[in-house]
Amino acid sequence: MTPTDETRAAAPAHPDCQDDPALRAAQEARLREVWAAPPGWRYWTAVNNTEVGRWYTASAIFFMLFAGALALIVRAQLAVPENDLVSPEFYNQAFTLHGTAMMFLFAVPIFEAVAILILPSLLGARDLPFPRLSAFGFWCYLIGGIFVCGSIFFDAAPDAGWFMYPPLATVQGGIGADIWLLGLSFIEVASIAAAVELIVGVLKCRPPGMRMNLTPLYAWYVLIVGAMILFAFPPLIAGDILFELERMFDWPFFDPERGGDPLLWQHLFWIFGHPEVYIIFLPSIALLAMMIPTFAGRPIAGYSWIVLSAMGTGFISFGLWAHHMFTTGLPSISLGFFSAASEAVAIPTGIQIFVFIATLMLGTVKRSVPMLWSMGALAIFVMGGLTGVMVAVAPFDFQAHDSYFVVAHLHFTLFGGMLFPLVAGIHYYHPLITGKMLSRRLGIWSFWLCFLGFVVCFLPMHLTGLRGMPRRVWTYPDDLGWNTLNLVSSVGAFVFALGFLVFIWDLARPKREAERAPRNPWKAGALEWLQEARPESWGVRSIPQVSSRYPLWDDPEFVKNYDEGRFYLPDAEEGRREGLVTSVLDAEPEQVLRIAGPSVLPLLSAIALGGVFIFVTFHWWWLTGISAAAALAAILVWVWTGTAEHPEKETKPIGLGREAPLYVSGPKSTGWWAMFITMLGDLTAFLGLIFGLFFFLTVHERFPPPGLPVPGFEWPAAALGLTVVSWLATWGGRRANAAGHVGAFRALLALALVAGIAAAAALGAGPWLAGMDPTVHSWPAIVWTLVAWSAAHAAVGAIMQVFCLVASFAGRLTPRCDADIRNTEVFIHFHAFAAILTAVALAAFPEAAELKP
Amino acid sequence: MTDEQPQEPKAAARRDRQFHGEAARQAPALWRIVTGPIIWGAHFLVCYWIGAAWCAHVGPGAPLGPARWAVAGATVLALLALALAVRSIGRRRGLSVEDDDLVFRADTAEERRRFLAHVATLLCIVSLAAILFTALPAVLLETCR
Repeated sequence: MTPTDETRAAAPAHPDCQDDPALRAAQEARLREVWAAPPGWRYWTAVNNTEVGRWYTASAIFFMLFAGALALIVRAQLAVPENDLVSPEFYNQAFTLHGTAMMFLFAVPIFEAVAILILPSLLGARDLPFPRLSAFGFWCYLIGGIFVCGSIFFDAAPDAGWFMYPPLATVQGGIGADIWLLGLSFIEVASIAAAVELIVGVLKCRPPGMRMNLTPLYAWYVLIVGAMILFAFPPLIAGDILFELERMFDWPFFDPERGGDPLLWQHLFWIFGHPEVYIIFLPSIALLAMMIPTFAGRPIAGYSWIVLSAMGTGFISFGLWAHHMFTTGLPSISLGFFSAASEAVAIPTGIQIFVFIATLMLGTVKRSVPMLWSMGALAIFVMGGLTGVMVAVAPFDFQAHDSYFVVAHLHFTLFGGMLFPLVAGIHYYHPLITGKMLSRRLGIWSFWLCFLGFVVCFLPMHLTGLRGMPRRVWTYPDDLGWNTLNLVSSVGAFVFALGFLVFIWDLARPKREAERAPRNPWKAGALEWLQEARPESWGVRSIPQVSSRYPLWDDPEFVKNYDEGRFYLPDAEEGRREGLVTSVLDAEPEQVLRIAGPSVLPLLSAIALGGVFIFVTFHWWWLTGISAAAALAAILVWVWTGTAEHPEKETKPIGLGREAPLYVSGPKSTGWWAMFITMLGDLTAFLGLIFGLFFFLTVHERFPPPGLPVPGFEWPAAALGLTVVSWLATWGGRRANAAGHVGAFRALLALALVAGIAAAAALGAGPWLAGMDPTVHSWPAIVWTLVAWSAAHAAVGAIMQVFCLVASFAGRLTPRCDADIRNTEVFIHFHAFAAILTAVALAAFPEAAELKP
Repeated sequence: MTDEQPQEPKAAARRDRQFHGEAARQAPALWRIVTGPIIWGAHFLVCYWIGAAWCAHVGPGAPLGPARWAVAGATVLALLALALAVRSIGRRRGLSVEDDDLVFRADTAEERRRFLAHVATLLCIVSLAAILFTALPAVLLETCR
């Protein structure tokens, strides 16, 4: 659509104010001051994505080096037969911690780290919507990671393999398994926090005009991977809860003698574990989607093909979990379904690869270090994908299962699908983050050492596996024909390590001023490269109006207009950190969001919450209680002082003749979305527990078994009724408040509070009065788990309702500014759904089974 | 926007607002573009549950018998649902199996419509393949072994 002459006349080509260099300098000074990182020790209270992202990335790489060192110990031990370089006990801890740390402390967190670091730049945003949440997630991750990794120095590390199969892991003594379960549960909190942050970031913080079809592909991948985290991690949390209840209180979920089943853990673990592979793979391949157009010098060929293939992969990856369980004796029809899905996922995965190749063929490729790593990644990943299709065929897997063939396959997919693209991405984005280039010479050296070392290490492993060598063995006899292959693999591992150290040196070494990168050093077209040659803490000088996927290529004036602050929010006249919140589909400006600044609260909350998980490991109950109270207090202070503040005015001009409100609540606000997304994850965890109930129902002839007490009908029915009352009262209260009936609102909220607590008590009364003992059988154990889940949520709901009541009396929550109750309402919707489902499950199923002859 | 048009910020912002004023307002139900995979997921879970429940019931080695017909029924239902989904996409957004990305340059309502239509349509095709894949074991296998 062409702007008419009339509209052009109405809008002066350049607003006069931005023509004044003095004014622009003043604006820049204000922005710089507002966004500056705090000095001195307070630096560690910074929450800006540039600081948190760097800490996050550095920590993830540190844990990767730690886990890599463990791998070298493993390879040294396996270099020759009959070796006793390390003890079997230490060896078990080394390979368990290698897998655990690589997966949970490197592969997933590095996605969060890189996304937090670069996503705001890609979206032309100043920061993500909840910087303090990012900081909180980072500190949780760091504390949990040090706790898990540090255990090996006390000979107390987990040693049952990185997927912790029972019964080995449930019956063994020591605290290794507890450290694994609790430490990783804590880190999963960080992952989910990051997922919430990133999803809301992509949906609500795009610059005006960046419609869904103009969004950078990396942001699409982040959105999809964030959603996958929400549905993949919670089942593992559910599994962790069951597992820890068994270890700590002897509730027999996985003990076949008392009605449990070890396969339940395998299901829950791999419902998490297989999507996790794609959670690792997609964000790294997303980096390729940003780099390849730059180096091909043309737009990506098949933007929507990439989006659909990422979505298709994301979905189908949830139908693959049992292909890790092909040898557990599942009926072959089940194996067939999972085998079929495992083959089907190759279709969308392959589409992405073909789009990359097509883009390169249509463009003119420039040679560069990132391209070198990208090409290496594609070669390795395709190879790993092909062996993946092989092991997806059940009869082949029967032969290769738990052998070194699988080790080779998974390392090919992870190196090709994750590590190599990541290193390419670090080379590519290093100038964006630090303003300095990485060395081309060192990059080429490290690539070839890594590539050759990798192939020499892992290619022979296919053969070692086919010759029968099982994974995780401490050593092997001399005469099985595995000697040469293992020695070659070990040599390759050390060559790879050398190459990677070259890369780490390049990253860590002090850089000279001569290495300062020019602006947009790769001549890219994507939005993030409009950044100044010396990166500024403000993120973007002004939030651009976007109308193209590659604005730097399409619009020669774009960077100049940006530099002169001619887009949105070029100033920080109120001395506040501000960003734009826009609508989901078309990125219409909806709010000027006052973004939180530095605070020590996220750090304190993370320390207190970390204390809870660490003290529980050692069964120090008093300290656990104190720590939990401290965490709750810190979080409440954080929410009270740092969220949904009342603005000094209703709206604010954002530039270019537009105006946006300063306070919104409900589905337009970021807080509402964050609560909604968090509760989706929470609901998934609950469904994981319900899956446990139905799993027992399926595998048992009669469940609940005859002779065991049941909660009966009356108490669950009462709980259901009270839950509905609490739910409707909260909903009605929110509406009353919005209509200005503050008195009715407070009365309804008080009713909801009392009814909610009573509902939880009624739900617990059934099994309590029936005398159900959770240590006797898996039936009472799963009932009590569901009841406890509901009670815990009722408690959180009650805290939120009390918070809203106090806020209403304190004038923080008013009919106009009602974000607190809007967000509480979302929580209560989800909680009511779960509580009603629990009540129905407890009331209906046992009665029906009891009536059977 | 073609290449000759001015890209000056004020004009771009004005054009953006015109877009919001003029473009047919589509329901912001972004999730609808994944209808196809959701149908696949439901079909997959139902098939898995049929197989697992039946084989747990009759024990290993017993014939699949009615479970095969149940899977066949679920597959027919899923394909029907997929057909309905495709029809609904066709009505709401228009079907598009090609995205014209090779000549992409425009930020228009038509471009956005085609993007959403293309992703939704192709996801239905991927889902069709995956649903047929899922149904295959019930055709090929005869017992619970």
